[in-house]
Amino acid sequence: MFALYRKLIAASIRSQMQYKMNFVTSAATTGMIMVLDFIILSAILYRFNDVVGWNIYEVGMLYGISSASVSLYRLFAPEINDFEKYIVHGELDQLLIRPVSPLLLLMTRNLDLSRVGGLVQGVSVLVISLSGLAAEGKSIVGLVLFSPIAILSGGVIYFSIGLATAGVAFWTQQMKDMLTFTIYAPANASNYPIGLYPNWLKWLFFSALPIAYMNYLPMLTLLGKGGEWFYPLLTPVAAANAFYFSRMLWNVGIRHYHSTGS
Amino acid sequence: MIEAKHIEKSFFLTKAKEGSFASLRTLFSRERREVKAVHDISFSIDRGEFVGYIGPNGAGKSTTIKMLAGILHPSHGEIRIGGYSPQRERIQVASQIGVVFGQRTQLWWDLPVRDSFEILQAMYKVDDKAYRRSMEAYQELLDLHEFLDTPVRKLSLGQRMRADLAAALLHDPPVLFLDEPTIGLDVVAKTRIRAFLKEVNQSQKKTILLTTHDMDDIEQLCNRIIVINHGKKMMDTSLADLRHQIGLPSLIRIEFRQPPEKLYELEGIERMELSENVLSIYFDKGKISSPRILAEVAGWGEPLDIQMKEPGIEEIIRLIYR
Repeated sequence: MFALYRKLIAASIRSQMQYKMNFVTSAATTGMIMVLDFIILSAILYRFNDVVGWNIYEVGMLYGISSASVSLYRLFAPEINDFEKYIVHGELDQLLIRPVSPLLLLMTRNLDLSRVGGLVQGVSVLVISLSGLAAEGKSIVGLVLFSPIAILSGGVIYFSIGLATAGVAFWTQQMKDMLTFTIYAPANASNYPIGLYPNWLKWLFFSALPIAYMNYLPMLTLLGKGGEWFYPLLTPVAAANAFYFSRMLWNVGIRHYHSTGS
Repeated sequence: MIEAKHIEKSFFLTKAKEGSFASLRTLFSRERREVKAVHDISFSIDRGEFVGYIGPNGAGKSTTIKMLAGILHPSHGEIRIGGYSPQRERIQVASQIGVVFGQRTQLWWDLPVRDSFEILQAMYKVDDKAYRRSMEAYQELLDLHEFLDTPVRKLSLGQRMRADLAAALLHDPPVLFLDEPTIGLDVVAKTRIRAFLKEVNQSQKKTILLTTHDMDDIEQLCNRIIVINHGKKMMDTSLADLRHQIGLPSLIRIEFRQPPEKLYELEGIERMELSENVLSIYFDKGKISSPRILAEVAGWGEPLDIQMKEPGIEEIIRLIYR
């Protein structure tokens, strides 16, 4: 299974290298857009000093984790994000005749290497924030150890949300608008402390769109903001849960796949 | 080998909304319309049979093939491919079947043909020995070496179809589903594909189900045809029986100097078509002889030219579709 995965990934990369120019420009633009994003955020923070009691480095931790996570998702699962075309154009047909999981095939198609730019940006923000926190005299050992777990879990959470949205698209035949609500908006929201938002939105981020478990909740504990000791443990648990439920929805959805005429 | 029992597929088409939040509004829309693409179809195909699955556009051919291949789930009914259910045991069925969609390639678009074969080898767990054996056999039959290192997107349609066929057969599946494999091909390419399919069917005893609109495909390849229309099975018979059953209308085409003023009904004539001054007469040879018709028609005007034709399968199918 792993050998096949490697082979498919290699094929996907080779396919893209046929269009080198395209790859270089899109990697550069993705990186630049995300850097600009962060510059705006820091400008705001410098102006106001803190957001509901979180200083710039603390918000940077939230931002870095969220940004790296969403890039990880977009890097490995661009076809989940772009799943609409598989339903509308019946392209899922060719994945369903293979003796392997269609999910595995999807995950290896058109690997979006330009997202590496976003991943680097996210990790850079984390490094800057960690050194800033260290300079304030805080212990950062826990944060350093926890960051990879948070990024991986966050990637899985975004993937699960994307997969669930794709699952719903089996009925709606459309998912582009839905992604605005399920991925893009939450990804933006999770750059800031969730405590900022009204209750109904908070509730949403702890349940159906569980991005709070990725950075906000564990950071309450690790940054000493009154979180319980077990909050960081909930991060991978929430990711596993999200994956389990979204796969279930996806599996039901695939039974409703309609394909296209001829 | 292939078993379909009372399979049915209905689609609920929701009218897609337009404007902002279209997908959300579509999701909660109640406007639905049920379309029965396939309605209570049953058949059983034995090993080594070459079956033509035909019907007009929108008859439900592709939908049936997609259900057999495990792509779509039937709303009702049971399917077995070599004893497995394509819905519950999709993975087992997938390794038993080879699928070719004429409209769409299964190969990796931007990579050389060879790369696709190697990926498929890993995917279907074909061991190196079997892989080499298949490659040798198909290289010879399909002349793959001409374009083995060309990216798929640069192949001609004929080459692409040959590559797709070889790819579908790489794991040596006992069953082949071909959805319009000759669509858009020129005469030479068609002939070549047909020769290949015939060979595969006869020497390897592969079970083949083929949909096509090309009646030459049917005449030259299939020993049995299943005709469907509006999602229902109209006919399931051997080609020889079909000719017999329908009573194949023969055709006489007569060109007159002036269009005949009146056409007379004759026992045994199925229909007559007059366009300008050419009269086409379709008739049943069992009921009326051609000299008899000619003798009769000579009185309708002054004939300039006479052609006689035994209509092929095309004409039969037209009768069934009607």
